[in-house]
Amino acid sequence: MATKKDRKATERVRAMQAQQATAERRRRTLIVGTVVVAVIAAVVGIGIAVQSSRTGPTSGKAPAGVTSDNGVLRDGKTAPVQVVVYEDFQCPTCKAFEEAVGPTLAKDVSDGRIQLEYRTVAFLDRASTTNYSSRALATAACALDSGGPAVFTALHDLLFASQPAEGSAGLTDGQLADLAAKAGASKQAVVNCQRAGTYDGWVARVTDDASKAGITGTPTYFVDGKQVTFSNSEDPKVTLTTLIDAAAAQQ
Amino acid sequence: MQQASGRWLAWLGVIVRLVVGGVWIVAGVIKLPDPAESVRAVRAYQLLPEAMVHAVGYGLPFLEIAVGLLLVTGLGARIAASVSAVLFVLFIIGIGSAWARGLRIDCGCFGGGGFDADATGKYPWEIARDLGLLAGSLLLVRWPHTRLSLDGWLLGPSSESGVASGD
Repeated sequence: MATKKDRKATERVRAMQAQQATAERRRRTLIVGTVVVAVIAAVVGIGIAVQSSRTGPTSGKAPAGVTSDNGVLRDGKTAPVQVVVYEDFQCPTCKAFEEAVGPTLAKDVSDGRIQLEYRTVAFLDRASTTNYSSRALATAACALDSGGPAVFTALHDLLFASQPAEGSAGLTDGQLADLAAKAGASKQAVVNCQRAGTYDGWVARVTDDASKAGITGTPTYFVDGKQVTFSNSEDPKVTLTTLIDAAAAQQ
Repeated sequence: MQQASGRWLAWLGVIVRLVVGGVWIVAGVIKLPDPAESVRAVRAYQLLPEAMVHAVGYGLPFLEIAVGLLLVTGLGARIAASVSAVLFVLFIIGIGSAWARGLRIDCGCFGGGGFDADATGKYPWEIARDLGLLAGSLLLVRWPHTRLSLDGWLLGPSSESGVASGD
């Protein structure tokens, strides 16, 4: 008799214990969940703040001698047909294009057929261990400011000819200054300019501007404002000269 | 029978947590060194207004790492898996829309980003990969109670069979 009663009592206690355990579990789940959500939000918020402080200013004064689009005209020459190229000194495809079409375009510039505007950007800082892309462009800006577009042009060609391998440390600032001197710039002026970081903000700004303008990669060529589409089946030199001839005929 | 399948699920969940969480951690960490590149990768999709591009480019890698760490350790697994699933859906939409619009961009999933001449051939694989990871995330949303998890340690076993009651 008593055993039946006892069993019932035990069952009631067990049920209550189970209920308490479930409630306790629910309470802990709620606490863990709240903490997890708060931590995620905090990590993301702090991350955004850290990364924006790390990127530095995307403003800063431009070097003397740039166009209104922050480009540089090859040898400072203007002509009716306008060719624009977005390039990165660290970009291997840009180097390949410089080798393939550079001499032809340079001749067209000296013949007065086209003007060639270099809009150099620093997309590929991660391709070196030392932000070579940005450093090379900053040096080119320093050389432009002290030596003018002809010096920039010579340095531009030298930089592509001596492009470091991807994943390397690239040229040092000293080696870059030597190249600038070889191109005709005052080495001391360039070194001072590098050390002061005079055009670091400008480099970040032109890179950001290019990205905002929809430039997603380098090189990107334009002939009279129209983006050039290269195909694998056609020599890029033929593609470009055809477009340039057509643009010249329209003048 | 139910217990056996529950045990099997609880261990499968551990593997899924490690795989999906591991992918998130790698994807996030790779993007940290160059925040400007991360912003450009976001911009290249041409989906978000300029005002949001920086926050997403800077914040997304941290969200990825946070979700990855939570999944790997099994802390707040259901919440982390839900965020993971939502992100994969958004990525699949992003890549699919880039593909549909004829953009040729690197997805920027593991750093990089921007123009990629071979992008069109890669989109299907990227979407397939994200679908697989989405499936894993949804599995964890449905059955978040797995072995070797901080949740299990903090909350205790959820039921006598050791499987989620699903609360």
